[in-house]
Amino acid sequence: MRTYKNNVIHDKIMKCILYLAIGLLAVVSFFPFYAMIINATRSGVEISRAFSLIPSSHLVENYVQLIKFVNIPRGILNSILVSVPATLFTAYFSALAAYGLAFYKFKTNKIVFAAILIFMMIPGQLSLIGFYQLCTKLHLVNSYLPLILPAIASPGTVFFLRQYALSAVPETLIEAARLDGANELYTFHRIIIPILSPGIATMGIMTFIGNWNSYLLPMIILNKTEKFTLPVMVSTLRSATDLQQNQGATYLAVAISVIPIMLVFTFFSRYIISSISAGAVKE
Amino acid sequence: MRKHKRLGSYNNWGYLFVLPFSVIFLIFSVYPVLRTLHLSFTDLKVMGDAHFIGFNNYIRVIQDKFFWKALLNTVRIWGVNIVLQLGLAFLLMMVFSDVKYKMKGLGFFRIVYYLPNLIAATSVAFLFQTLLDWRYGSFNIIISNIARFFGTSYNPVDWIGNGHVVPYVIAVIQSWMWFGNSFIMLMAGVQGIPKDYFEAAAIDGAGRWTVFFKITLPLLRPIMMYVAITSLIGGLQMFDLPFLMIQPSSSAYGNVQTVMMYLYRFGFTAGSINTGYASAVAYMLFLIILAVSLIQLYLFRDKDKTNTKKGGRK
Amino acid sequence: MKRKKLLAGILAGTMALGLVACGSSDSADSGSAAQADGAAAEDGSAASSGDALVIWTLAKDLETFGEYYEQQTGNDVEVVVYAPEDYPTKVQTAIMGGETEPDIIVGEPQMLGDMYDNGFFANLDDLGAQDYADQIVDYVWQVGQDKEGVQRAVSYQITPAGIYYRRDIAQEVFGTDDPETIGAKFADYDTIRETAQTLKDAGYRIFASDSEINYFSGDSAWVVDGALNVDQGRLDYMDLVVDLYKNDLTAYCNQWSTPWYQAMAGEVPILTADIQNYADDSVNVWDAEAFAEQTADLEKTSVFAFGLPSWGVLTMRDNVGDLSGKWGVCAGPSYGFGGGTFIGISSLSKRQEQAWDFIKFVCFNEETADWWIETSEGDTVSLISALEKHAEDANDVYGGQTLYSFWLDQAKGIDYSKVTQYDKVIGDAWGAAIGSIKTGEMNKEDAISNFYDTVQSTYPDLIINR
Repeated sequence: MRTYKNNVIHDKIMKCILYLAIGLLAVVSFFPFYAMIINATRSGVEISRAFSLIPSSHLVENYVQLIKFVNIPRGILNSILVSVPATLFTAYFSALAAYGLAFYKFKTNKIVFAAILIFMMIPGQLSLIGFYQLCTKLHLVNSYLPLILPAIASPGTVFFLRQYALSAVPETLIEAARLDGANELYTFHRIIIPILSPGIATMGIMTFIGNWNSYLLPMIILNKTEKFTLPVMVSTLRSATDLQQNQGATYLAVAISVIPIMLVFTFFSRYIISSISAGAVKE
Repeated sequence: MRKHKRLGSYNNWGYLFVLPFSVIFLIFSVYPVLRTLHLSFTDLKVMGDAHFIGFNNYIRVIQDKFFWKALLNTVRIWGVNIVLQLGLAFLLMMVFSDVKYKMKGLGFFRIVYYLPNLIAATSVAFLFQTLLDWRYGSFNIIISNIARFFGTSYNPVDWIGNGHVVPYVIAVIQSWMWFGNSFIMLMAGVQGIPKDYFEAAAIDGAGRWTVFFKITLPLLRPIMMYVAITSLIGGLQMFDLPFLMIQPSSSAYGNVQTVMMYLYRFGFTAGSINTGYASAVAYMLFLIILAVSLIQLYLFRDKDKTNTKKGGRK
Repeated sequence: MKRKKLLAGILAGTMALGLVACGSSDSADSGSAAQADGAAAEDGSAASSGDALVIWTLAKDLETFGEYYEQQTGNDVEVVVYAPEDYPTKVQTAIMGGETEPDIIVGEPQMLGDMYDNGFFANLDDLGAQDYADQIVDYVWQVGQDKEGVQRAVSYQITPAGIYYRRDIAQEVFGTDDPETIGAKFADYDTIRETAQTLKDAGYRIFASDSEINYFSGDSAWVVDGALNVDQGRLDYMDLVVDLYKNDLTAYCNQWSTPWYQAMAGEVPILTADIQNYADDSVNVWDAEAFAEQTADLEKTSVFAFGLPSWGVLTMRDNVGDLSGKWGVCAGPSYGFGGGTFIGISSLSKRQEQAWDFIKFVCFNEETADWWIETSEGDTVSLISALEKHAEDANDVYGGQTLYSFWLDQAKGIDYSKVTQYDKVIGDAWGAAIGSIKTGEMNKEDAISNFYDTVQSTYPDLIINR
């Protein structure tokens, strides 16, 4: 039998060990990110000669090289024009579909869910040419629509939110709302979305990052330099005869492109945490 | 008044809820895939006339030992990767959801653990190629110095050149890139569990392990199913990291080539493009993923149902 | 209630942004110039009216050419640059999808075979290409032809390969740094073996990696009359690479890796004592005592030579550091080349005449060639008259050597019939086979048999005589 005091000490030691462990893991996770930022300050020759954790003095040089090659603000703006609506579409319509699949017993429910799972399994590259031909037919080549509209149907997110709703939404709540005479859409907007919000925010982060970093599809669809999203723009740094010279600039571009992600991450994260303290949504 | 309607009419709202999803899904996902399905039955190279050749492409896939080797390679890398990745994510989830320790800083750690995933795979590959170089890489030099310090010697391992070692190296890097992702998903699931379950448990005087096994784990099962299925789908389509780290001219390539890399050779590598065959490979991969997923779904099925009921009973 | 506001805000935001996005895409043609505002003005090419010639390229060079073309002729050009590794996917998807937008598309030698076979390029002979046949270095002209000999593409540059060597080490070891004499030290594989041993005895290593003579390997094509052809030269090359590795004659870098670049600027740590392979772990190069014993006073070594195409002139220039001026270039054991951007007209282009005018301007115009030599700081053009004109230009990084006449000579020797569209896959498989022999993973017989299997798997239609 341990005394109360012993127990407290034991807990404290355990907590210290745990913090140490997760802290160490954090260092390991932070390491490549740090290396990337350091490389943004080094010249291409320095980068290809040796690995280093000490910053160098070529930050300005890399920046000059970068803006000589690509129009970064334009790329950021274009990426925002694609990523933000796409993320919001995914978040809203996926939650809608997920809720429908989780709590309504209509005839095609199982078919839709099965289709979602099956199409997640088909390698995406396969339908690239079919997708492009569709866009040509609909006159959508070189427009942002083929990058934004498909976000309404994001199988992975629907799947996640369906599973999430199953564990987070008590059915009694829906019944109670119905007894109060609430319209189903009203229930969804006022009661379900708040309960699902940690899940929606989590998928929001993932979707935004996915869209922000998306490369293949925008590269295939966009034909005008001034319409390029950031990753497509940055990839053109590799087209130089003198590849090496652009290495530092590439790292700098990647570092810059991570900033909006961090902002979105922080924004959504706050939202995820707040929902825990606001656990009593139902009252 | 709506409240007098039968339950069935409520259920019809379900059609409306999945309508926007379904329309867009049919246009932008289903149609392009079905449009390219017939290609796998033709001899189309890049452009021009495609002749119908029946199941010849599929027969060729089944008969090619390199396809099966690629599948084996994929499963080996993925197997090691998934154990590490999900194991780590699960442990972290346990730590951060522990009702006794109440660890702080979740917001911070969530971002930091996700960082490896934010860096383009090209940079990750380049970084590890440099660090893990056999004779010049920092990693071997550090280990050898440590060994020397303790009076022993270390025979350096060629981490990225030795075909017997490199699949595991890639699996570890892959896990390191993705554990944060799995962790975030699991944590979202934990945070979605209605708080009154925990409160009720606290009033009943339940211990931390009771809470974990009786509340957290069962309620998390749907999310765990999601994580398991998506990891499988993503894992069997593994491409970036092995593709970028190991050149086709390396002797280790044969042990690293994944199914997607095999597909890439016929789908997109100049000089060997064979669209018909690449399509057949893609559908074979799909069938394999489908088969394994069905097994997974079956394993999770019962629990999924009890869970829904539990939510309803409350 | 806060939540409700947030939700309303999100929804409103979605719609607004959705509209913005839709608007910007619908008005793609008319509105893009206005929207691109300041950005467009900088790009120069962005203010695209309907008649601008559209160029899709994988080389930034062409953007520079495009600007120069606009400036000289007043014609509008819009250059869109894509990353080289994804360019084939981009063009393939677009042309297969019936895209008529690009007028000019490009390719690197290993992509061209597919592009010709599938009708990506328009026929340049119809536009009068043969009038210019004599003005361009021969092998480049041939690379631009499809199987029937129809001209489909041209390049503004040549990329013959050469051996870049250290003049100071040459003086010390061989008593001369004359390119002719040093070239003789690389005349054939046996001579290279001897040269390598001589250099090792003097405390140097002949190459940083064992891939340096790859550009010069093989006497005949990989595929002849639909059959895989492994000639004696390939086998000799295999033996040479294995020997270089097993006899500790290189510095064991991987090509394009960090230490490989380091070796251009001087000493690299030499970490080897004896050959180590996976099958035999007896020797430990990291064991301090054994290491010291076997390397004696050799803690670092310098690398004598690199094998690179003519664009290596720029790579070396950027990396040699203090050794600038101490390098030279000589011929390798055979003639080879690597890379190069070839320009052609998309078969779906509706402005073939305009596009041809651009190609003529880029490839056949001596003034353009002069300008390019200066702008690129030393790229090697394909226009013979320009190469002859600059034959006496001395390059200080290479000890004042006259490189243009050297490259022209090397280019003349290139036998383009050796090049096939199978080269990338087969060459990689051969490299993997060599790799597994040198590290002891497989014996020669198994490795070659595995090589045959790989080739057969990729090209089931090829005849393979084992």
